[in-house]
Amino acid sequence: MASGPGDKHPALLALTSSALLLPAYQGVRADAPPEFIELGTRYSKYEEDNTQGGKTFGGSSQRYEVDAAQFHLLAPVADSWSVAVDVQWEDMSGASPWFVGQSLDGGPKVIMSGASIEDTRTEVSVTTRYYYDRGNAGFNYVRSKEDDYDSNAIALDGALNSTDGLTTYSAALSTSQDDIEPTQGSVPTNTLKADKDISSAWIGVSRIISKNAIVRFGLAYTYRDGFLTDPYKKNDRRPGERNEWAASAGYRQYFIQPDGALQADYRYFDDDWGVASHTLNLAWHQNLGQSTQLIPFLRYYSQGEADFFANIANTDQRHYSEDYRLSSFGAISGGLRVRHEIGNWALTAVGERYETDESWGVYSGEESPALVNYWRYSFGLDYLFK
Amino acid sequence: MKQLTCLLALLCLCGCETVQPWERGTLAKPEMQWQADPMEISLQAQINASKEATSGGQGAAGGGCGCN
Repeated sequence: MASGPGDKHPALLALTSSALLLPAYQGVRADAPPEFIELGTRYSKYEEDNTQGGKTFGGSSQRYEVDAAQFHLLAPVADSWSVAVDVQWEDMSGASPWFVGQSLDGGPKVIMSGASIEDTRTEVSVTTRYYYDRGNAGFNYVRSKEDDYDSNAIALDGALNSTDGLTTYSAALSTSQDDIEPTQGSVPTNTLKADKDISSAWIGVSRIISKNAIVRFGLAYTYRDGFLTDPYKKNDRRPGERNEWAASAGYRQYFIQPDGALQADYRYFDDDWGVASHTLNLAWHQNLGQSTQLIPFLRYYSQGEADFFANIANTDQRHYSEDYRLSSFGAISGGLRVRHEIGNWALTAVGERYETDESWGVYSGEESPALVNYWRYSFGLDYLFK
Repeated sequence: MKQLTCLLALLCLCGCETVQPWERGTLAKPEMQWQADPMEISLQAQINASKEATSGGQGAAGGGCGCN
């Protein structure tokens, strides 16, 4: 990314998109509105490791730090409705990879954006949901605003239980219109003004398979159209369309004796840029008495590089990118989540470490010098009005 | 991979036992939900999506990503 006061942190910008992921799938009780008002807040600190001196021109460089605050309200309305309001603020600072050059020994080294970047983002999401005898239907609107990025997205989702209540069928549709107007700083940007649209569909089915186990499968398709290039990276020119497919599976198994549950989720992703990935999430939810839960979690991720990725881009080609996020690599992350309830209050704390390495992946490719490792901490407070 | 997922789904749907409504108390526990902590799941997914080339798959994608 380019340097400058208005530059956008990749994490920050992606926070926008992922924040809009709509949890259209439902739990066991798809037909039940919330019984009480729920109120929650989180503070999170995201901190990337400095880029190692041997991988950069100009020595070690400090990368991004993000402070994020989240607020969540879920309330029943009348007998059959609920409304949810989510607000998120983020504040970031730091530097990001700008482009990659060749060192004297022939290896690639990254050039960072240099000056520290400062930016904030605000996102507001409102969801209304109607519950009926055998399911529910929801409508969601999300607005995200930054200096150089503005997004409006709407989504519809629904869930239907089978007559025996053992199976829940779910579906969701979404569309968004995003406007990009890069802040002009000390380096040129890839566009002055652009836009893109994102359309997505998802179907899923969950099934109770025993008194203590439930399974879920899902298929998703997403179409992106418009300016998909990173406006702040020096050597970046991507196709104007992207078709994405994802197949997912989830499993929950409760064990009576330890009073705990295994949570497992897997996703396979493929697209027409040549990128594919495997993601496996595992967590163990351990209850300690009635009021405390310990939840260690582990994630493995591996992706293959895009067809047009190269550490040092050939800018004579039609499409090219040096963005490390389009390279082949593997990532392992893990952490611990602790939750303790005191009456109607609940305290939550989370610590997570994320590390990457090209050799950890199942796909081969060039190792980018800009791969990122980070720490993340979150602290939360929830209240249930009952 | 998609074929494998569909096959697993079919096997599961064919091999499930009948669980009566009054036997589903455990399934209503927070640890058995797909999203026990929406704010935590949301933030974790956002960060991962910003550092990786792939994202989504748990619902409709929504919009708003300027991270390209």
